[in-house]
Amino acid sequence: MQKEEKQLEMSLESMIQRVSELKNSIGALIFKLEHEYETLNWPSLLDNFALLSGQLNSLGRVLKSDKVPSLKNQLLLPLLLHPDPDENLRKLTEGRLLFFNHEIAPNYLRTKLEPEVEEKTQQLVTKAQQTTQEQTQKQLNNLNKVTSNLLDIINSTREEWDNESSQKSSQPQTSSLTDTNALVSATLTGKGLKSNRTRLPESPQAGMQQLQKIQNPSISKAPSSIKTQIKAASGGHPYQRT
Amino acid sequence: MYMDQLNQAVKGGIAPFHEYLLQGSIVDSSKDVLVHRLRGLCDNADSNPEAFHDHEMIFSLKGSPQQQPMTVYLRHSLIQTDCWHLRYVGSTEFGDKTRQTLVRSCVDIGVSDSIVKFLNEIGFKLEYEFVAKGYFFHKGRMKVTVSKLFKMNIQGDVNNIDPLTLSCLVELSVVVPTGQEQVGEDMKNFAEQLKPLVQLEKVDHRRQQQAAT
Repeated sequence: MQKEEKQLEMSLESMIQRVSELKNSIGALIFKLEHEYETLNWPSLLDNFALLSGQLNSLGRVLKSDKVPSLKNQLLLPLLLHPDPDENLRKLTEGRLLFFNHEIAPNYLRTKLEPEVEEKTQQLVTKAQQTTQEQTQKQLNNLNKVTSNLLDIINSTREEWDNESSQKSSQPQTSSLTDTNALVSATLTGKGLKSNRTRLPESPQAGMQQLQKIQNPSISKAPSSIKTQIKAASGGHPYQRT
Repeated sequence: MYMDQLNQAVKGGIAPFHEYLLQGSIVDSSKDVLVHRLRGLCDNADSNPEAFHDHEMIFSLKGSPQQQPMTVYLRHSLIQTDCWHLRYVGSTEFGDKTRQTLVRSCVDIGVSDSIVKFLNEIGFKLEYEFVAKGYFFHKGRMKVTVSKLFKMNIQGDVNNIDPLTLSCLVELSVVVPTGQEQVGEDMKNFAEQLKPLVQLEKVDHRRQQQAAT
């Protein structure tokens, strides 16, 4: 018996700790929303939500864990109701609760749902009870069918997307390192530019300059000698390499 | 040291500068995408990108066999044919990881069409030449060129050309007076914006030169 009580106390403590953590982060979020809404950005808001969801999860884990005795089997009964303001209670609840009187106690200790919610649940329950076994089976089958269809669609779409994205990631080969190196070394050292070049004298532009240059001194000479001179000179045009 | 350079610059009318450089390439099929993106990123986005069509000639002067040959790069615009530009670049500093770009000293001079004759007269010989066609962008003091390089089949003939590769050379450069390391950071940031289309990187020139010899 004592062991169980001890266990209960410990689990209560950890529950209180988790809940107060949760409360603090909710408070912080509200504070942020109220005071920093001008500078607050979406990622940090998402961070806050992630924190909350994590804390809720860990609270849920504590409740489900084996170490916590089933809370449904525990009884809680108010021992003392008082109509006057209770300073101690106010401190404990951080100013939210001033009295623990006949009006407030039932509300805080209730285990039933709110009447409206209860009514709705009741309606659903009666509706569920009215359907026959056959009908239920039919509906179940229908639902299964629709769900599996949906799953198929989702899966096939996902496959398409995966294919597309993999295509996209494999597609854009927009630059090549070999070409970069080839181009850079071509500008720097003339690699690939020096070889395979026929040096024909008839090249229009370079040849022209040469022609003029040669023709000037040879104007006075006989036409036949001009020809030979041009030929002879065209071998050594101004951009000649060694 | 710095004052010496300055005095020299004032006297000679040539200022020594440092060029910060990143290089990469883009395959021809994606060139338009890159040009489009550059138009958006760079200044004068509303006007058409500036095109160029240049003939580049590389001359070198060989001293004794032990000496490194002196190399100059001569560019001649085939659109505005009276535009000639001579450039000397120093050896490239690859630097360590903290340095974002290649750095090399450079001297740029505008010259006239008699430059070829002049260079030949003082002993420079044409090493190789190519034709570069492409677009030019600038963003602040950053310069971006996307150029297609063409091999010239016949020496001196700028019309008989074949593409060198199936890619365009992309260069991002800034020329500034000595000692402005901040530039590298700006360039790195700009290069980031062109990824994954183009990988602008420090290309190790020394390794390229070794590979060529």
